[in-house]
Amino acid sequence: MIADARPIDEIVRRAQQGDVDAFEMIYRRTAPAIYRLCRRMLGDERDARDRMQDTFVRAWERLTSYRGQSSLDTWLHRVAVNVVLEHLRATKRDASRLIDVDDDSFGSRPSDSPADASMDLDAALARLPNGARTVFVLYVEGYSHDEIAQMTGIAAGTARAQLWRARRALAKVLDHE
Amino acid sequence: MNDDRHLTEEERQAFADDAPPVERRVELEAHLAACADCFDDVARLRSVTMRFRKAPNDPAPVEELWPSIRARIEQEKIVALGSAPVATRQWLRARHLVALGALAAGAMLTVVLLRPSHRIVIDSTVAVSDTTALRLVADSVKSYEDESRILLNRLELQRAMMRPEAAASIDRDLKVIDQAIDELQLAIQNDPRNPALRHLLASSYRQKVELLKRASNAS
Repeated sequence: MIADARPIDEIVRRAQQGDVDAFEMIYRRTAPAIYRLCRRMLGDERDARDRMQDTFVRAWERLTSYRGQSSLDTWLHRVAVNVVLEHLRATKRDASRLIDVDDDSFGSRPSDSPADASMDLDAALARLPNGARTVFVLYVEGYSHDEIAQMTGIAAGTARAQLWRARRALAKVLDHE
Repeated sequence: MNDDRHLTEEERQAFADDAPPVERRVELEAHLAACADCFDDVARLRSVTMRFRKAPNDPAPVEELWPSIRARIEQEKIVALGSAPVATRQWLRARHLVALGALAAGAMLTVVLLRPSHRIVIDSTVAVSDTTALRLVADSVKSYEDESRILLNRLELQRAMMRPEAAASIDRDLKVIDQAIDELQLAIQNDPRNPALRHLLASSYRQKVELLKRASNAS
C-alpha cells in the first residue's frame, strides 16, 4: 500500500498531471464509500464491482475537470451516481421505468420471507425494486427530492412517493430484526 | 390527519423528512405530542433513514479491484497516444504548457537578473531567516534532479517503442527546459542566496519531471 500522508490537494494535483500512483492514493481513500454507494444502488455485488471500476476509470479521465469547487469526495460521489444511473438506463432498468406504483412486490416481498429476521440493511435494500432503491439510496446519501428527480428523470412528486414507499417497506423488514 | 384523527401516511412521512406542511405544522405537531402511535411511527420511519446513514461501510474489494482499474487507465494512455484525437490534443496541450512554463521561467529569470539591485532584493534580515527555505528549495531541486535522472533512463529504454515524431517532440521540449535549467544554474552561481532563482530552478526541474512522467506513461 502506498502511504498517503500528503495533503489531498497535493495528491489531486499530481494525479491531474498524470501520476497514477497519486491517483491510487485517491482510490484507496475513497473506494470504500464509492463501493458502498454502488452496492446499495445496484443491490448486486458483481454489478457494484464493475461500476466501481468504471467510476474510477471515468474519474481518472475527467480529473482535470475537477477544480476543487466541491470536495473530492463529493465530486467522486457524483461521478459514481452518474455511472450507476447510466448503467441502469443502458440495461433498461432505469429509475423512471422501474418506479411502478402498481408493483405488487413492492413493500410486501421483503417481509414475507422467513429469512427476513436476520436480514441486514443492504440485503433488505437489495430486495426493493431498482427504481425505489435508487431513490432511497440517493436520499440517504443526502440528495434532495428535486436533485433526485433531476438525476433520475422522474417528477419530484414521484421521487418523494417512491422514497416513502421504500422507507415504509424497509421499516416493516427492519421491525422483524 | 385522517378521519380517525391520526396523521396520514403522507403527513408521517413528511415529518420523517423534517418537511411537514408549513401551514399545518403547529396542528400536526400538537397531535404528535399527544398521540403515541403517530409519534412512534414517525420515529420508526426516521430511524430507517438514520440506520442506513450511520451504517459502517462493508468491506470493499479495494485491493482486489485496483490492478484492473490501473490496467484500464494504462491501456487508455497507450491508445490515447496512438490514435485518440482528444487525448492527443491533451498531450499537445500538456507539451505546450511545458514549453510555455520553460519560457516563463526564462522570462522571469531575465526579470530577476535585470533588476538593478537583484542581489539585495531581499533585505538582509529576510535573507538570513530564509536559510532554511533556501535549503528546502535546494533539497527539492536535488530530489527533482534524482527523479528526472531515473525517468530519463527509463525513457531511453522505452524510446524504441515510441513513435519517432513523439520521441522528437519530447526531445524538443526537454531541450527547452534544459536550456532554462542551465541558465538558472549559471545565475545561481553568481547569486547563490537569491531565493527567486532557486524557486525558478526547482520549478523548471519539476516541469522536466512531469514531462518525463507523461512521456513514460504514454509510451
